[in-house]
Amino acid sequence: MKELVARGTCKSFGDLQVLDGVDLVVPAGSFTAILGASGSGKTTLLRLIAGFERLDRGSLLLGDQVVDDGHRVFVPSERRRIGYVPQEGALFPHLSVGRNVAFGLHRGPNRRARVMELLDMVGLSGLHRRYPHQLSGGQQQRVALARALATDPEIVLLDEPFSSLDASLRASVRNEVHDVLRQAGTTSVMVTHDQEEALSMADQVAVLRNGVVAQLGTPAGLYRHPRDLALARFLGEANVLDARVRVLGQGVVAETPLGALPVEGWPPSGALGCPDGRARVLVRPEQLVVGDASSSPVVARVESSEYYGHDTVVRVRPEGDRLPELVVRMTGGSPLEAGHRIGLAVRGPVVAWPVTDLE
Amino acid sequence: MTRGRGEEGGTTAVDPRLRRDRGGRRARPHSAQPELDRVRPGRRGHRRHPHGHRRRRHRAGPPLLVVVATLVALAVVTPLVFLVVEAFQTGWTTLHPLLFRSLTAQLLWNTVSLTVVVTALCAVLGTGLAWLVERTDLPGRHFWAVLVVIPLGIPDFVVSFGWRAVFPSIGGFWAAVLVMVLAVYPLVFLPVAASLRNADPAQEEVARSLGAGRLRTFWKVTVGQARLAILGGAVLVGLVCLAEFGAFEILGYRTLTTEAYTEFTVGFNTAAGCAFSLILVLLGALLLAGEGAARGKGRTARLGAGAARALRPRPLGRGAAPALMAVGAVVVLALGVPVGAIVYLILQGGTSTVPNASVWGATLTTFGYGAGAGIVATLGALPIALLSVRHPGRRVRVLERTSMLILAVPGIVVALSAAYVTNYFLDGRWYQTTPLLIVVYAIMFFPMAVVSVRAAVARAPIGLEEVGHSLGVRRSSVFWRVTLPLIAPGLAAAFCLVFLETATELTATLILIPTGQATLATGFWAQQSNLSYGAAAPYAGIMVLIAAVPSYVLGRWFDRLPSRSAAAGVPASAPVARAEVLAGATMVR
Repeated sequence: MKELVARGTCKSFGDLQVLDGVDLVVPAGSFTAILGASGSGKTTLLRLIAGFERLDRGSLLLGDQVVDDGHRVFVPSERRRIGYVPQEGALFPHLSVGRNVAFGLHRGPNRRARVMELLDMVGLSGLHRRYPHQLSGGQQQRVALARALATDPEIVLLDEPFSSLDASLRASVRNEVHDVLRQAGTTSVMVTHDQEEALSMADQVAVLRNGVVAQLGTPAGLYRHPRDLALARFLGEANVLDARVRVLGQGVVAETPLGALPVEGWPPSGALGCPDGRARVLVRPEQLVVGDASSSPVVARVESSEYYGHDTVVRVRPEGDRLPELVVRMTGGSPLEAGHRIGLAVRGPVVAWPVTDLE
Repeated sequence: MTRGRGEEGGTTAVDPRLRRDRGGRRARPHSAQPELDRVRPGRRGHRRHPHGHRRRRHRAGPPLLVVVATLVALAVVTPLVFLVVEAFQTGWTTLHPLLFRSLTAQLLWNTVSLTVVVTALCAVLGTGLAWLVERTDLPGRHFWAVLVVIPLGIPDFVVSFGWRAVFPSIGGFWAAVLVMVLAVYPLVFLPVAASLRNADPAQEEVARSLGAGRLRTFWKVTVGQARLAILGGAVLVGLVCLAEFGAFEILGYRTLTTEAYTEFTVGFNTAAGCAFSLILVLLGALLLAGEGAARGKGRTARLGAGAARALRPRPLGRGAAPALMAVGAVVVLALGVPVGAIVYLILQGGTSTVPNASVWGATLTTFGYGAGAGIVATLGALPIALLSVRHPGRRVRVLERTSMLILAVPGIVVALSAAYVTNYFLDGRWYQTTPLLIVVYAIMFFPMAVVSVRAAVARAPIGLEEVGHSLGVRRSSVFWRVTLPLIAPGLAAAFCLVFLETATELTATLILIPTGQATLATGFWAQQSNLSYGAAAPYAGIMVLIAAVPSYVLGRWFDRLPSRSAAAGVPASAPVARAEVLAGATMVR
């Protein structure tokens, strides 16, 4: 297992600048997710790390070895000791499962045992004689993982490994892959456009936007303290309120239509001050608590309600004309009828950005 | 029907709900994407290859590959280039009277009227058979589906020969129509059957639910779904009619092609040959252009996700007996008559027509030419196919289409052009030599090679090679262990197709074969021209065996490959492949 460092990596195709100076450190043994919308350059970054493409500028280091410096040094893919799990697995269709897994292994007495061990690890023992087309999508994906791990790679690269799977299958395969990678203890980099996937699997998430890392952090840090509103919305559903921020003794408070809310991390890094205190406040749907209309300072009317069993997403419109529609996530409970009056309260501290800092 | 519709409606209604339920906590990850997706101009969302690699942006491809591919494409169109050169050298004053004389008008009428009638009849017969086999409960329809395709494997001139042997007085326009329809209707049947098999049966149900009657549904929806397939098949039939020589010669029906041959071989009149060639190429181009215009922009595929449900075949009821008789009649006329005639002639001849040394010699020569042409065409197609799959772009498409033009050029034109080049630019060197003949074969059947090789290369996406490299395996080793095994079946298919076409080629072979050599086709031709039908029969018999049996065996072999999913797209048998490849070739344009 090795650390991966990307410094100022640039890559363009023709006149299209895909990566525009990406800086990223993936600690040895960690699981890092690269999250981005389509076209953000995340797959290009992965292909650069894998050695399928060459850098224009910048450098890539695996451990203390420079594998690509943009001009002279380029270590080809086959000498980087990586494990690569492409989208949809890309198993060799003409080889059996066993031969797929053994592809990168040298001939020797231990080869067969190693294949069996790997298949056992991904929960597919006994299927080594099957051909890829005889496997389900999830099984193919696990074979691809076993194949990637066979050569004891320094780093495992996963390119949207679950996007081709059914929603019902995705969660279970995700858990299995996560466990296998933990067990193997390798450094892992996964590319995805699914924020849920990134937040639930990774130790560290890098959000890629317009060819640069827009924010790097732990899943909780990113979700709670996104650097700007666009990131906040990208990482989950968001209610945004107009507010006025005041310093109050030790703490900072945002005066919002939902009351005075304690603000965390004010002023946000990169903010150029906020002279008049005008700000926007992020309130996540699960921070809104539904209470009794009679005992609450803020009363809202239910517009619609989507019942999912384990939780319910309710769209409410606060009474009075100052507030937009809000999204509330309630755990458990029963669906609320449209037109029902409820009381609203905010739980926990919120994040705010000065208005001048926006858009 | 009602039950089926209910099921489908049920799943579509429930499915999204289920998905949202499972992902309840995902808070609609896409909802915020527009914010982040402030893409720069020129960015597109769908750049993904099915195997998860980004399509290469270095468009042009390796320079050496581009050069080789360009040279190959140029070589393939040389017959057309030299046809133009020849026309210029001959001069307008010589060509004008040849083009505008009553004989030309008569031949043009013969050719065009025959092509139109045969094409129309094939469209009706092929579509009707396809519908009976695919959409009704015709007894033994799977069995019939195989039988009605086999006539495509029998050379047209052998069908003609069989009919002539059974009915010696047969001849003229309607005899030519009968023989051609029976010989080539599978060219319409195959694509239409495939299209009906893949069409979404729910469309018919929807049409019925919207109040369309049975007949209207059949016409608007069923035929509508197969429209492109019918059109494509019909164009192929038309091209075959333009190029046909042997079948018409046997029946004494004169077309531009037969007359071009006669002018060249009997009258040594290259100018007349050139004039007829020009008209033939023009007619072929018109056919292709007409198809392109008629194709339009509509889509016939299913829109939307989900697997199509199989349609319950329509019960024929009382119509079963007449339908069975009709299909049986087609098989008897198209397959029974020629094969029966050959078998009868061989048996009747007894010991005197047991295949003698010259038949075996011709078989050997045929195999040699076929193998040579197969190798040359397959290797020549490789650079173009590689570029087309791995470095797609406008320039590559132009190369590909250029090489496909030869599809509309009859064999006689290619042969006459080759004869002209050797006689006027090379002082007769290379004329009637084995290398020239093999190159001409390779040019004539190049489109088939390109289509199969491209399908083969597409089966080995570059993503698989990348995975191989990422596993620490050397590049050459990845080629031998991944790329080659994946594309080999497709290359073999390309080789077999060209081989089989070459084995039954008559027109160009007659003109360009080295003196003293004989293929099965020319040996057959020499015997039947002397009216020695008994002596011609063994040649015909071996050609039918070569065309029909190995193709069946090969089809089964391709079917049984372990990597069936990878080999998918390798056509089930050679006659089928021939039609599929030709159909694919016209679509490439």
